[in-house]
Amino acid sequence: MRIFSRLLLLFLLVSMVPLALFSYFNLQQDEETLRAEALGRVSTLADKKMIQVKSYLTERERNVRFLAQSPRVVADIELLSDEYGARAGGVYLREDARARQYFDRYVDESGVFRNIYLITPQGEIIYAQKHESDFATNLQNGPWRATPLADAFRDAVSTLEPMISRQDFYLPSKAPSIFITSPVIADGKFIGVLAAQLGNDLFNKVASDSGGLGASGEAVFARKDGEDMLMTTPLRYRPGGREILRLNLEKNKEIPMVGALFGTSGEAVKKDYRDKEVVSAWRHLPELDWGMVVKLDGDEVFASVYRQRTWVLEALLLMVCVSGLLAFLFARQISRPLEVLAKTVGEMAEGNLDQRADESAFGELGLFARSFNRMTGRLQRLYQTLEARIEERTRELSASNEQLQEEIVEREHIESALRDNQAELQRKQEMLIETEKLGRIGSWEMDAVSGEMRCSDEICRMFEFDPAQLLPVRDKFLQTIHPDDRMWVSQTCRQTKEACHDAEYRLNMADGRIKWVRQHCKNYLDATGRLLRTVGAVQDITASRRAEDNLRIAAVAFETQEGIMITDAEANIIRVNHAFEAITGYSPEDVLRKNPRILSSGKHDKAFYEEMWRQLTTAGIWSGEIWDKRKNGTIYPKWMAISEVKDPTGRVTEYVATFSDITQRKQAEEEIRNLAFYDGLTGLPNRRLLLDRCHLALAASQRSRQYGALLFLDMDRFKTLNDTLGHEYGDRMLVEVARRMQACVRESDTVARLGGDEFVVLLEDVDEQSAVASQKVAQIAEKIRASLSVSYQLAEHEHLSSPSIGVSLYRGNEEPVEVLLKYADMAMYQAKDAGRNAVRFFDPGMQLAVESRAALEADLRRAVPEGQLHLYYQIQVNNEHRVLGAEALVRWIHPLRGMVPPAQFIPVAEESALILEIGGWVMETACRQLAEWRIHALTRNLSIAVNVSAQQFKLHDFVNRVESILRTCDVDPSLLKLELTESVVLSDLADVVAKMHALRALGVKLSLDDFGTGYSSLAYLKQLPLDQLKIDQSFVRDIATDPNDAVMVQTIIDMALNFKLNVIAEGVESEEQLSFLKLHGCMAYQGYLFSRPVPVEEFEALLVQQSGLYKALSS
Amino acid sequence: MTIWARQQGWLFAVLVLALLAGAFWFYASHHAEKPVIRIGVLHALTGTMATSEAPLVDALRLAVEEANQSGGIDGAKIEMIVRDCRSDAAYCAAQAEKLITQDKVEALFGCWTSACRKAVKPVVEKYHHLLFYPVQYEGMEQSADIIYTGAAPNQQIIPMVSWAMQQRGRRVYLVGSDYIFPHAANHIIKKLLVAKDGLLLAERYVPLGERDMDAIAHDIAQLHPDFVVNTLNGDSNRYFFAALQKAGVQSRDIPVFSTSFAEAELAAMGPALMQGHYAAWNYFQSLPGAENRDFVEHFRRRFGANRVLDDPMEASYIGVRLWMNARRDAGTANRDAMKAALGQQTLNAPEGIVAVDAATQHLWKTARIGQVRADGQFEIVWQSGQSLAPAPFPFFIPPGERDAIAQGLP
Repeated sequence: MRIFSRLLLLFLLVSMVPLALFSYFNLQQDEETLRAEALGRVSTLADKKMIQVKSYLTERERNVRFLAQSPRVVADIELLSDEYGARAGGVYLREDARARQYFDRYVDESGVFRNIYLITPQGEIIYAQKHESDFATNLQNGPWRATPLADAFRDAVSTLEPMISRQDFYLPSKAPSIFITSPVIADGKFIGVLAAQLGNDLFNKVASDSGGLGASGEAVFARKDGEDMLMTTPLRYRPGGREILRLNLEKNKEIPMVGALFGTSGEAVKKDYRDKEVVSAWRHLPELDWGMVVKLDGDEVFASVYRQRTWVLEALLLMVCVSGLLAFLFARQISRPLEVLAKTVGEMAEGNLDQRADESAFGELGLFARSFNRMTGRLQRLYQTLEARIEERTRELSASNEQLQEEIVEREHIESALRDNQAELQRKQEMLIETEKLGRIGSWEMDAVSGEMRCSDEICRMFEFDPAQLLPVRDKFLQTIHPDDRMWVSQTCRQTKEACHDAEYRLNMADGRIKWVRQHCKNYLDATGRLLRTVGAVQDITASRRAEDNLRIAAVAFETQEGIMITDAEANIIRVNHAFEAITGYSPEDVLRKNPRILSSGKHDKAFYEEMWRQLTTAGIWSGEIWDKRKNGTIYPKWMAISEVKDPTGRVTEYVATFSDITQRKQAEEEIRNLAFYDGLTGLPNRRLLLDRCHLALAASQRSRQYGALLFLDMDRFKTLNDTLGHEYGDRMLVEVARRMQACVRESDTVARLGGDEFVVLLEDVDEQSAVASQKVAQIAEKIRASLSVSYQLAEHEHLSSPSIGVSLYRGNEEPVEVLLKYADMAMYQAKDAGRNAVRFFDPGMQLAVESRAALEADLRRAVPEGQLHLYYQIQVNNEHRVLGAEALVRWIHPLRGMVPPAQFIPVAEESALILEIGGWVMETACRQLAEWRIHALTRNLSIAVNVSAQQFKLHDFVNRVESILRTCDVDPSLLKLELTESVVLSDLADVVAKMHALRALGVKLSLDDFGTGYSSLAYLKQLPLDQLKIDQSFVRDIATDPNDAVMVQTIIDMALNFKLNVIAEGVESEEQLSFLKLHGCMAYQGYLFSRPVPVEEFEALLVQQSGLYKALSS
Repeated sequence: MTIWARQQGWLFAVLVLALLAGAFWFYASHHAEKPVIRIGVLHALTGTMATSEAPLVDALRLAVEEANQSGGIDGAKIEMIVRDCRSDAAYCAAQAEKLITQDKVEALFGCWTSACRKAVKPVVEKYHHLLFYPVQYEGMEQSADIIYTGAAPNQQIIPMVSWAMQQRGRRVYLVGSDYIFPHAANHIIKKLLVAKDGLLLAERYVPLGERDMDAIAHDIAQLHPDFVVNTLNGDSNRYFFAALQKAGVQSRDIPVFSTSFAEAELAAMGPALMQGHYAAWNYFQSLPGAENRDFVEHFRRRFGANRVLDDPMEASYIGVRLWMNARRDAGTANRDAMKAALGQQTLNAPEGIVAVDAATQHLWKTARIGQVRADGQFEIVWQSGQSLAPAPFPFFIPPGERDAIAQGLP
C-alpha cells in the first residue's frame, strides 16, 4: 500500500471510527428501550384481547347453561322425544312451534347464536331452530357424526358439563362453526343435550376488532389443521378476501402464531404472515384450542428510531467527506518528494546509470539521495572491466570447432563399402523365398544355445504372423500352435538326438480357424552330444485333413433318430441305418439288395406311387406322409423324404430316403381338433360346432321339409352358486347338467354349451307337421326341464336349481341360424320373466312388441326437430278462482299415429335419454310463452309450472341451462316453477339440495310433485328448499269417500303450512273435492273442474272467460 | 520504521484499555450476588402414601433443576426445601406453616390425599400463600391460594364412569378407602348413575392401609357387576387386586376402573395383578409427542433408566413450570401480581397443551382412559375430543348438595 493511502486511512480511522461507534451504540440503546416498551404494550393489549374473547365465550356458555336449565327446554325434550317418531302429529307440531317461539329471541344470523338444537341422549336431533340438513339426523351414527357439533355432544354426554366445541367447517350450515353444548338435567336425570351454534359475524367482530391497536395493529386468530395453521377470523390485511389463509406450520415456524398454537405465550419482534416485521405478543386460547397474536407493525413502532437513524447517518457522511478532504491534502504534502525520488531510482534500476537523484530534497531525503548517487558511480566502473574479459573467451572456442569437421568426412567413406555387400545378400534371400512359396513349404531354424529362432517368409504367411508385432519369433511360433499340441511340439524340437522328427499338428489362427501342418525337423549336435541347433520345414496340410473329417462326420450323421435308407439307381436297398431297424423292425440283412416295396402297407393305391415317382424324377425330391407296415405287420404313418443323388455327369446313382414315425403326432392333432370344436369342461360341442351343425341341419331340413327346433337353456341363479360356493362347484354342476341333458335327447341331436351356464339343444327331423312337431319338442323340453330341476349333489353340498328354456322351431332355411338363436334366447327370457323353471316357445308377438317400441323410439327421435311436440296448458287457480298460472304438459301429435298418449312415449323417452332433449324443449317453449305473455296485463303475472325429469335434473350443468334459457327469453324467473318428483329428490341428496338452492338463488320457484306417493320422509322434506307441495291426484280422487285419503291430504296440508310452504292440489274434478280441500286449508287447485290441458290459444280464450267470471264473482 | 512502531504501540494501548473495560463489565454483571428463591415441598416420604408420593418429589426436583439450568428466575437460583409429611395430614399442615414462616418459601408444592389438602388449605389461606396441588380429586373446592394441577371430576371420574357404562353396562360396584376423596367421588358417581340410569350394586369402604380385601373380592365375584370403580388409595390396591385374582375375578369379565393408581404404583406392585384393568388419568407415560418423549428421557437420565412416570408426577412437574413462567412474567415476588400472571398461563406440557383457568384456578386438560398392559404401561383406549374446561362443581349436581359431597358425607 502506498504511503499516501496509508496516511489517509489512518487519519480516517482515528477520527471517524469512534464517532461511528458512539452513534451506533446510542441508536441501539434507543431502539432497545423502544422495543421493550412496545413489547410491554403489546403484551398488555394481548392480555386484554384474550380476556375480551374469553369473556365473550364464557358469556355465551352461560347463556347455554341457562337455557339448558329452563323448564321450557326440559318440557320440549321430554315431549319431542316421544312425538318425534311420528313427526307430524298435533302434539309434535304444537311443541315444535312453542320451542320456535321460545328460542326465537336468541337466534339470529347476525346475533349471538345462529341456530339452536335439542338432542336426545342417543344423539337424535329432535329440534333445530333452522331446518338444515342436520335436523332429524343422528349425531352418533348419522352423516354428521364427525363434526364439531357431534364431538361437543359426545363430550357433553360423557362429562355432563357444558362444552365449547372446536371450530371447523360445518357442512349443514356451510360455514365454519363453533357449538356450545350443555346437558339437560331434569330431576337429576340426564334427558338430553341443548346445543347452540355461535353466530360467526358477531364473534368475529369481537375477536378481530382492532380498536386500541393503533394504526397498524391487528389481532389474528388461528387453529391447527393437520400440518397447517388456518386463520379463523377475518384478517385486516386481506380485506374481503373470501379465501381462508392457510399456512404450513413447518415452513412458517418463525411467525409468532406457531408459538401460540403450541400452547406457549410470549412477545417478540418477529415476521408475521405478510413477512413484515411486527412487534407481537402471542397467547393460547384453551376454550377453542386457538392461538392468538396481537401485533403492531414495526414500521409504526420504530418510526422515531428510523428517523433518528437517517439523521445520524447523514451527519456521519458529511463528516467523512470533510475530514477525508483534509487528510488528502496533508498526506499529499508528505508523499510528493518521496514519489519523485522513487521515480529516479526506478529509472536507474532499468540500466540508465547516467541518471542522478535530486540531492536538493529536504531532511533525511536529501541525505539519502547523495549516498545513492555515490553508489551508482562505483557500479558504473565495475561493469566496464567485465566486458573486456568476455571477448577473449570467444576467440578460443572457434579454433576447436574446425578440427571436428575433418574427422566426420573420413567416416563416410567406410560406410559406402559396407552397403555393396548387403545388396548381394539380399538377392540370395529373395530366391529362397520364391522357392518356398511355390512348394508351400516354410522353413525355420533355431539356435539351441541362444534360444533364438528364425523363420522364412512362408512360415510367416502360413502362421499368419503379423510382421509388425514385436514379440520374439519363437514365442510367436509357439503361440500360433494349438494349445493342445504346443507342449509336445516344443518338446520334440528340443530332443538331444541327431535325428529327423516328423509331426502333424494344428495351428490356431487369430480369427479362430484351425490349420493342420506337417513338420520335418532335424537336430544338429556338437561333438559332446549337446544340441546346437534345429532346422525344420513346415507344410500346410489343412485341405487333405478336412476331407478326412467330412467322411467321419457323415458316418455319424447317418446314425440319427430318423430312419435312413439308401438304394441304388435300380431301387435296390444298399444301406440302412439303425433307426431304420428300430422303426421298421427289419435288420439290414433282411432288406439289403431288396426293393423297398417289402415295406409298403398296401394302403396306398398305384396312383400314389406313380405320383411319387413322377415328382422324384422331375424335381429330384419327394416328401410326404406314407403308411407303411412294420416287420411285425402293424401299419403306421411316417413322414418320408426321398432325394436323388447324382454323379458329376448328372446320372442318378443312388436314392436316399429319410423318414420318421409320426404316430404320436397324429394323435395330438386329433386332440387339438377336438378342442377347437368341443367345450373343454363338459365335452359338449361348442358354439362353433353348433353353428356348423345348425347350418347343416337347416340345409337338410330344406331338403326333407322336416321341422326341427332350437332350445335355448339357462340355469337359474347359477351366478349365486358360483359366488357362494365357488367356481369349482359351479363347474361340477355344469358337467352334471350336460350329462343329464344328453341323456334326454337322441344320439343324433346336438347338445352344445355356448359358455357360462347357457346351453343349446338342436333337435333335427322332428316331424313334417308343425303342430305335431311343436308337441314333440314341448315334450322333450319338458323332459329336460324336469331332469334339470332334480337337486344336484355337489360333493358335500346339495344344490337346487332349475332351467329356463326358450324354444324356436324351424323348417328349411328361411331364417338364418343367428336369428333362430335370437328367437330362442328371447323366448328363454320370457320363461325367466314368467318365474323361471319354465319352457316358452318363441311367439312372433314378442318380436312385434320389441319392434314397435323401437319404431316408436325412432319416430320420437324425429318428433322434436320436426315440430311434432306441442305444449298444452292446464289452468291453476286459487281459492277465489283467480288464475295463478298453468302447468305446461307435453303432447305428441304424430302425422300417422295421431295423438300419442304421454304414458306411452314418456317411458320410452326416459329410457333412451331422449327425455333430455324433450325436457329442454319444454322448458324453452314454456319460457318463450312467458315472454309472450309479458305484454298483456291479463297474462303478465301468470306462472308456468314445468315438469323436470330425474335425468334432466342430474345434468351437472342443469342450473346453468335453466339460467341461460331464462336469460335468452328475458323473463321474470319467479314466474317459472319447476315441478320435481320424488324420484328426482331421492337420489344424491347433497347434490340435489345444492342445485335447488342455486335454482332458488336464480329466483325460480320449486314445487314437489306427486307428494305423498313416494317414500320421502319428513326429514328429507325439511332439507329441501321448496316453495310448494303438490298433492297427488290419487289422493284427491277419493278424498270425499275414503277417510284414509282424507287424513292423508289433511296431514300434507298441515305439514306444508308448518313448513311455510304453498300447497296445490291436482286432479280436482268435483265440487265436493274442492270444498273439502278448501275447508282444510288448501290454497290452489288444478283439475278438470276448471279445465283440461288445452293448447295455448284455447288457454288464452279461457283466461278471458275466467277473468269475466272472476269479476262477476268478486263484484 | 519508527513511525510504524509508534503506530502499533498506540493501537496496543487502545486494545488493552478496551479489554480492561470489558472484563470489568463482565464482572459487574455476573458476580453481583443474587438472592436464592426458595420453594417448599410437602409430600409423604414415609407411611402408607410414600409409594405414591415419593416419586413426586423427584418430578419436582427435575423441574427445578431444569429451571436453574435455563438461568433460574432473572439469574436467581431456585432452591427446593423438602419436608416429609409422614402420611399424616395434621403434621403436614404444621410443616406447611413452618415452610411459610421460617423458611420464607415463595410457593408450596405438595399433598396427595384430600385429607392432607383440606388440612393444609386453611394454613395457606391464612397467609394468602400459594399451594400447587398435583393430584386429581373430587372437586367441590376452589381457593384463590391453590392451583389445582390434577384433574377435576369432569376431567377424570365422570367421563371414566360414562365410558365404562357405555362399554360394559349399567351395574356398578364401588370400592374405596375410608376417607374424604373416595366418599366424595362415590357420591358424585352415584349422582351420575341416577342421571344416566345406572344401577349401584354395592358401595364398600376399607380403612387407609387395609390389607384384608378377601371379603370384598368374594362379594364382587358373587354380585358379578358389569364393572368396579376403585377409589382405594395407597398400598391397599395391591391387596385388593391380589384378592380379586384369588377370587377368580378376570379383568375381561369384571374390569376394575381405578382413579388412584398409575404407572408408579404399577411398577411398585408389579403389573401382572392389574393387567387388563383400567385407570383414568390425563397423562400416561405412553403418550406420543415430542414434549413427553423429552420429559421421560430427561427424567430417566436424571433418576435412572428404569424409573416410570405417571399423572401426579407430571402434574407436579407442570406445577413448577407454570409457577416459574408466571414468576418470570410477573418479575416480582409479590403474590398478587404472581397470581394474576398465573391466571394467564398456558403450557405445552407432556400431556399436551394445558392452560390455567383463571376462574377456577384449575387446569384445562384432556381426559384419557388407559388399560394396563403387560409391560406396566397403559394402552390409551379413549380420550376426550378436546381439552376440557375444569368444572370443580359438576353441572349436574345441584348447588345445595355440594357441601355434603365436599365433606365426604354419605
